[in-house]
Amino acid sequence: MMEDEMDNPIKRARQNKKSKNAGIVMDMNAMVDLAFLLLTFFMLTTTMLKPKAIELVMPVPDENDQSTEVLTIKESRAITLIPLPDNELFYYQGFSEAVAKSSTYGAAGIRAVLLEHRKTTEKPIIIIKAHPNSSFENLIELIDEMNITRIERYAIDQFGPKEEQLLAEAGVNLK
Amino acid sequence: MSSNRISRHTSPQLDMNPMVDMAFLLVTFFLLASTFKTAEPARVVVPRSVTTANLPDDRLITISVAVDGRTFIGLSSSEARIMWLDRYAALYELDFDEAQRTTFSLIPGFGVPREKLKEFLNMAPHERSRFFQPGLPMDSLSNELADWLVLGRTVVPRARVAIKADKGTPYKHVDHVIKTLTENNILRFNLVTDIKRLDNDGR
Repeated sequence: MMEDEMDNPIKRARQNKKSKNAGIVMDMNAMVDLAFLLLTFFMLTTTMLKPKAIELVMPVPDENDQSTEVLTIKESRAITLIPLPDNELFYYQGFSEAVAKSSTYGAAGIRAVLLEHRKTTEKPIIIIKAHPNSSFENLIELIDEMNITRIERYAIDQFGPKEEQLLAEAGVNLK
Repeated sequence: MSSNRISRHTSPQLDMNPMVDMAFLLVTFFLLASTFKTAEPARVVVPRSVTTANLPDDRLITISVAVDGRTFIGLSSSEARIMWLDRYAALYELDFDEAQRTTFSLIPGFGVPREKLKEFLNMAPHERSRFFQPGLPMDSLSNELADWLVLGRTVVPRARVAIKADKGTPYKHVDHVIKTLTENNILRFNLVTDIKRLDNDGR
């Protein structure tokens, strides 16, 4: 019976292998240490999130006065947003008889205004005129609102005397 | 007694092979899935937005704006940086030696005015990382940002321009950069943001 088994070449090979396997026992602990060290290093030195980007296209700078072009659009189509320092936000609709109104960032504030505007007007236009001391984050937040409310026509323009005057009329005290 | 202790010590033999496999699998994953952080001249925390478009990795000129308005510029490819410096040197009749040029090719972004550039490049790496970079001058007399920008575009044709401004930066500093861009006929550019998920509040 025993001899029969030893004669079987497959079984013999298996037995050989087994004994060889048992012979070399490598200490893997050092290798584990090394692997985890590398893992920690790569985890700490890398950035996983790729930065995202908002693409802006500015109008071609024109030597002529641009106000003539602005006046050719229907006033009711345009809403001007004015981010102010300290996360304040004002907006006004139209140009000539505009009254600056206060609003807030987020869904309840300016987004509701923009959605309402998009519903009631054809081809709405938004102009963002950021106050020089308003934070960059506020501007990004407003551009975000354009993407959320799917308003395609928006532009970034200069904060000017017109805005200053409207804000003063609304009782905003700017230094 | 002692032999008994030894045998007790050696008897629980753990098979570490799967653990090694797993650890190296994770190492490989992190190696492949990640990009290295680059040393930045100033700390810039970009705002978050809902946009999903990725910022391109190559052919990119990055203009960083710190909270205090200091402005830095960087070119994405290190090979092009040497040519960038050479063209700048030719423009202002400066000359940089080989060591300075090599150092320049290793700097991802900088904001030092022309007269301090050589001094900046001669510093030891640890000195340089501690050095307070005043930012590129951007007044109407010498707009060095515009110089570097225009030269960057000649070195890397059709390079995209990205503005990486801190979320707390007053808008006037960003506006200044945007004006410099439009004056140089760069009307299409990117604003760098981080990803934001839209929650119920929408903020």
